[in-house]
Amino acid sequence: MAMSRQDGKPGQDVLRRVGEASVLILISLAGGHKHGYALIQDIKELADVELGPGTLYGALDRLERLGLIESLPADDRRHPYRITGPGADALRLHLDSLERVSAAGRLRLRLSGI
Amino acid sequence: MDGSQASRPSRPSRSRPSRLVGTALRCYPARWRRRHGDEAAELAALLISDGTPAGSIAWSYLAGAARAWVTPPPGRRVSTVACALLAAACSLAVSAGLLASTLPARASSTGSSSASRAHCLSGPVSPVPEVVPVRDHPQAILWEARHDRSC
Repeated sequence: MAMSRQDGKPGQDVLRRVGEASVLILISLAGGHKHGYALIQDIKELADVELGPGTLYGALDRLERLGLIESLPADDRRHPYRITGPGADALRLHLDSLERVSAAGRLRLRLSGI
Repeated sequence: MDGSQASRPSRPSRSRPSRLVGTALRCYPARWRRRHGDEAAELAALLISDGTPAGSIAWSYLAGAARAWVTPPPGRRVSTVACALLAAACSLAVSAGLLASTLPARASSTGSSSASRAHCLSGPVSPVPEVVPVRDHPQAILWEARHDRSC
């Protein structure tokens, strides 16, 4: 059940409005906790998307406020981040939704014969 | 996978990000700087050591700072921020309007004495075209309204 601190209603896809960067960050953090630099590298490898540092911290700030990720104690000056339980639930819900839309899109393309 | 351990390059943690990046980071709201300032500077140093141009990092942080200012802080609703932006826009519009309304007066005050006289002539109010030399412009056509009162 996806729920967030701010605008969490059970079952609501809270990631619909947070943007692609936030979803990619959650997917990356689903593989283990990471700090900013490791996130940028992982997302580049994973999705071929180069996140700018400004975009990254904007998304991290927002996800943290939504309670979907949390920062771990600082390692030197870097804060590793990890996905929270509600964050994992929200990601699962969002990916399910994307899968349904993707399947519907593929089906329509196949039926239209374009 | 522990990403905080993985793919970490040689430690430039003591190296400072460029002045450009530092300036961009100072554009963020204080709350954001307290929370992320140090690690953002650290990340910039790492990216610069990787060969990312400091200019593009600074630009990314500048854009991020602009977003951080317009994004409502926790506990404050969007409507509050929208109202603040609207108030700022209104005050700008009023200022611009006041400025615009003073320009014709300035233009006529720099004009010839005949133009000033035309403005103060008695008689019914009727628009009269006047060619008046204005500073920085060869000439300007002003529509003056004559009236009964003396200036």
